[in-house]
Amino acid sequence: MKKLIVFMLTLTMALSLAACGNSAGSGEKDDSASDTASESDIAYVKEKGTLVVGITDFAPMDYKDGNDEWIGFDADMAKAFAESIGVDVEFVEIDWDNKIMELDGKTIDCVWNGMTLTDEVTSAMECSNAYCNNAQVVVVPSDVADKYQDVDSLSDLTFAVEAGSAGEKEISALDLEYTAVKAQADALMEVAAGTSDAAVIDSLMAAAMVGDGTGYEDLTYTCGLNSEEYGVGFRKGSDFAEELNKFFKESYADGSMEECAEKYGVQAAIIEQ
Amino acid sequence: MEQILEQMPIVIEALNVGFLQTLKLFFVTLVGAFPLGLIIAFGSMSHFRPLSYFCKFLVWIIRGTPLMIQLLIIYYFPGLVLHNPIWGGGESGRFLAASFSFILNYACYFSEIYRGGIQGVPIGQEEAGLVLGMTKSQIFFKVTLLQMIKRIVPPMSNEIITLVKDTSLARIIALQEIIWAGQAFMKGSHGISGAIWPLFFTAVYYLIFNGILTLLLGRLEKKLDYFR
Repeated sequence: MKKLIVFMLTLTMALSLAACGNSAGSGEKDDSASDTASESDIAYVKEKGTLVVGITDFAPMDYKDGNDEWIGFDADMAKAFAESIGVDVEFVEIDWDNKIMELDGKTIDCVWNGMTLTDEVTSAMECSNAYCNNAQVVVVPSDVADKYQDVDSLSDLTFAVEAGSAGEKEISALDLEYTAVKAQADALMEVAAGTSDAAVIDSLMAAAMVGDGTGYEDLTYTCGLNSEEYGVGFRKGSDFAEELNKFFKESYADGSMEECAEKYGVQAAIIEQ
Repeated sequence: MEQILEQMPIVIEALNVGFLQTLKLFFVTLVGAFPLGLIIAFGSMSHFRPLSYFCKFLVWIIRGTPLMIQLLIIYYFPGLVLHNPIWGGGESGRFLAASFSFILNYACYFSEIYRGGIQGVPIGQEEAGLVLGMTKSQIFFKVTLLQMIKRIVPPMSNEIITLVKDTSLARIIALQEIIWAGQAFMKGSHGISGAIWPLFFTAVYYLIFNGILTLLLGRLEKKLDYFR
């Protein structure tokens, strides 16, 4: 009996301590902000005055220039969008695996980083219209590239693909043997190190990262496996997606989107709004 | 090789920035966990049962789950479940959440080491102090504490060196410490993409820093040698 009482006391203490921690950490302002968020995401962001954009370092969409400033097609468009709704913009590097947690936990307000619109993404986020075309391509060492120019020739290769990526979906649909790794860059390292025969990554990334004058001079990319589209992700139910679609339409119509795309060499890939 | 030499200055600069973050987390954790560990140690030795049960329960939870999960829970739980992202999304918020997790985690490990050190001092010394009319706190600060410190230096050194390397776990909540900085070059950063060597090169930083720590802690151990 005595032991039981002690146990109960301990439990209440633990719980009350946890409760203390929460109320201590939350200012009154935060509470009111989270209340309005359930009604309008835009109002929530306007109230705090900053649109927090979750990104990874991913040229040519989001990357740093010499002055430590985030630039790129996505970064520049995000800046313009934030300006149009009258808030500041803050770029935060996130772990790509945790993007949905970051959104739902409100540590970021959107994912704007060359994100492929897959079923997983569209079911967990409120997505904008597609704004850019992309494909998944096969990366192999240059000296054997001749042998692997079409999909039928790939059957005897072992692949490295990013876990949860569009590339993984394509490879498993083809029923090919593969290893899932943490990032697209890791997949390239696997091929460079010879631990996998080939990798599947985004074509925009492949164009920037393999071949002459890059860090992976001995690699090249051959056939494309699919075509897909990039979109911007917001919290589920957010009114931002609609607002951004409007912004995309306007900036496509007045040519500012194409101007921005030309700056980063992706003008061929943008989609008419 | 030539390419590596060309990239070296840029990479070193980026790694230095990352390592600064690593060092910041390391020192903040030590400064927070040293005293908090002592408080938890006293709590779990307390004769007030609920308090000692609570402290032992806390130590069980913290030592029984991976630090990586603790980081994820502490950073994402407030926003996901309580709809109140107390840490914020910026880099300073991530650092704060990481510091909180590390301090809590290491305080629990330290508390057990402290407890061992305190209980390792023979009970006779405390009794002698009581006979001489000293108060409990006088006995602790004048008799027990210094002997405890001498006893715990070797196991604490172990934990401190482990902490240097554990800071790399904070990358799971996107804290940009040195491993993150090294890995960034694989994907493309500062105009270098597809460089694998910076990731492996981060090991040199850890080795040098741990070498310095080992020397310092060895010296401290020698200084406390007069106790035997």
